[in-house]
Amino acid sequence: MSMVISQSSLMRANRWKLIGLMALLLLVFVVVVAVENLLVSSLLAFVISYTLGPLVNHLERQRVSRGLATAAVFSLVGVSLVFVSLVLFPYLGSTLSGLQTDMPRFILGLGRFISEVEAKIHDIAGPLIKLNVTANVETQLTQWTKDFFDHAPSFVKTLLTVMLLGPFLAFFMVKDGRAAVNLMLGLVPNQLFETALSLVHQINFQIGQFVRARILESLIVGLVTTGGLVLISFPYAILLGVVAGLTNFIPYLGPIMGAVPAFLIALVNGYSGLEVLLVALVYIVAQAIDAGVLIPMMVARIVDLHPVTVIVVIIAGAQVMGILGMIISIPVASTLKVTVTTIYRHLIDTRS
Amino acid sequence: MTNIVWDNFFRQSDQDQEVLDALRQTIVFSTLAKKELRFVKDTVHVRTFKAGESIFRQGEVGVGMYVLLHGALDIFVDSFSSDSLPVRSQLVTRLRGGDFLGELSLVEPNSRRTATAIAAEESSLIGFFKPDLFEILDRQPATGVKILLRLGEVLGRRLKETTLKVTELKEDLRRVSEKL
Repeated sequence: MSMVISQSSLMRANRWKLIGLMALLLLVFVVVVAVENLLVSSLLAFVISYTLGPLVNHLERQRVSRGLATAAVFSLVGVSLVFVSLVLFPYLGSTLSGLQTDMPRFILGLGRFISEVEAKIHDIAGPLIKLNVTANVETQLTQWTKDFFDHAPSFVKTLLTVMLLGPFLAFFMVKDGRAAVNLMLGLVPNQLFETALSLVHQINFQIGQFVRARILESLIVGLVTTGGLVLISFPYAILLGVVAGLTNFIPYLGPIMGAVPAFLIALVNGYSGLEVLLVALVYIVAQAIDAGVLIPMMVARIVDLHPVTVIVVIIAGAQVMGILGMIISIPVASTLKVTVTTIYRHLIDTRS
Repeated sequence: MTNIVWDNFFRQSDQDQEVLDALRQTIVFSTLAKKELRFVKDTVHVRTFKAGESIFRQGEVGVGMYVLLHGALDIFVDSFSSDSLPVRSQLVTRLRGGDFLGELSLVEPNSRRTATAIAAEESSLIGFFKPDLFEILDRQPATGVKILLRLGEVLGRRLKETTLKVTELKEDLRRVSEKL
């Protein structure tokens, strides 16, 4: 009969195993953060795999092998996206170049608007307050526009890398994710194994629900906004819908940020009060559907961040990664909250 | 170098075959077809325990069952004679290769282990847990249903045995009280 191992040497062996596992996870984290574009690509890959995973499972239920099911779903979605972009890219291209030519006019219009306000303030307050905002704002806006179009090529390069790497990683996540997770779980010490397995499963389930709910929510908000703007024949309807859908990932601030471009366009084009009211109505209806139907139905049950947390997280995201940081900061924070809540609930449930 | 690679390759496929055989002989998986068994094999977890290492302890929350691949397990039950007296662990049984344990945790929410299992010698176990069962039900419902049916059968049999034991004990109790 083999020798019975002493409890202290068992604990030591388990501790080393745990340290090894932590070191491996840390290494993976460092690599993901350090390699250019890998963090954003991995996040995109997670989003894709959580969105397409259920479709692959559905095919697998019809007795299609997992490899074939994954390939079929990814090819189908890929081909559809290519078709959509073939239609959408020329439109976006012309819209963007139109926007580029319109931009100086917009800035001038905005400048004029600010001048008028300035003149009015001057009339009311007299020479007591000396304001010279117009010139500053105009120079700043021109500089920002120039920066945006200067940085556009490098942004497009990053975007292309992420767009290729994200789906590539997602494909293997969907196809072999389970095996990879089991491989990692194999390194967990015996006495923590059941807890780790249970946690991984619960966190995976919660994040999956959350990601699918937020994507569907933003898609509906974007579609409603585009539909409404098309209905009142407002320019750049699709672009503004995309912006509204994307900014909708940011709670509280997002809806306002998404509506600002539309009001700027209305303002500098000198739209009448009624037209501005119609634009406002479109955004209000989209937000009412979001707040009244989508959030209570899909998102609220899953995760709820305090407004102060939202602001702090968005500022932190903006500092680290700019606009992209603002958009991904909330999903990342929500994911962390789901993870911590799940671990906490698990500890409460399993307390003896 | 090549030998090590090949040895490992064959060891892996040996272990795979061993796991497949053990699963086929376990009543919960006994009705599965070859392909379904292979799917279950890819889902389960093979864990190795050193002699003296506990698989689980009485009172802990458990999330699934174990099939003993090889080795031996001692099952202890803690008896609480009184609050002031220390807990006494009593050896109930010794399990050998092919035996399985903990299947109630697969269906019971927040199920607590009713005994302590400790490896009597170095042992390999196949772990099959709630998340694995859910995964099978999600991806291959037909396989999942077969497993659930057999699981129901096992639990039903255990219930029958317990009912029989309770009836016997009641009978004993009646006889003892009559004598008094």
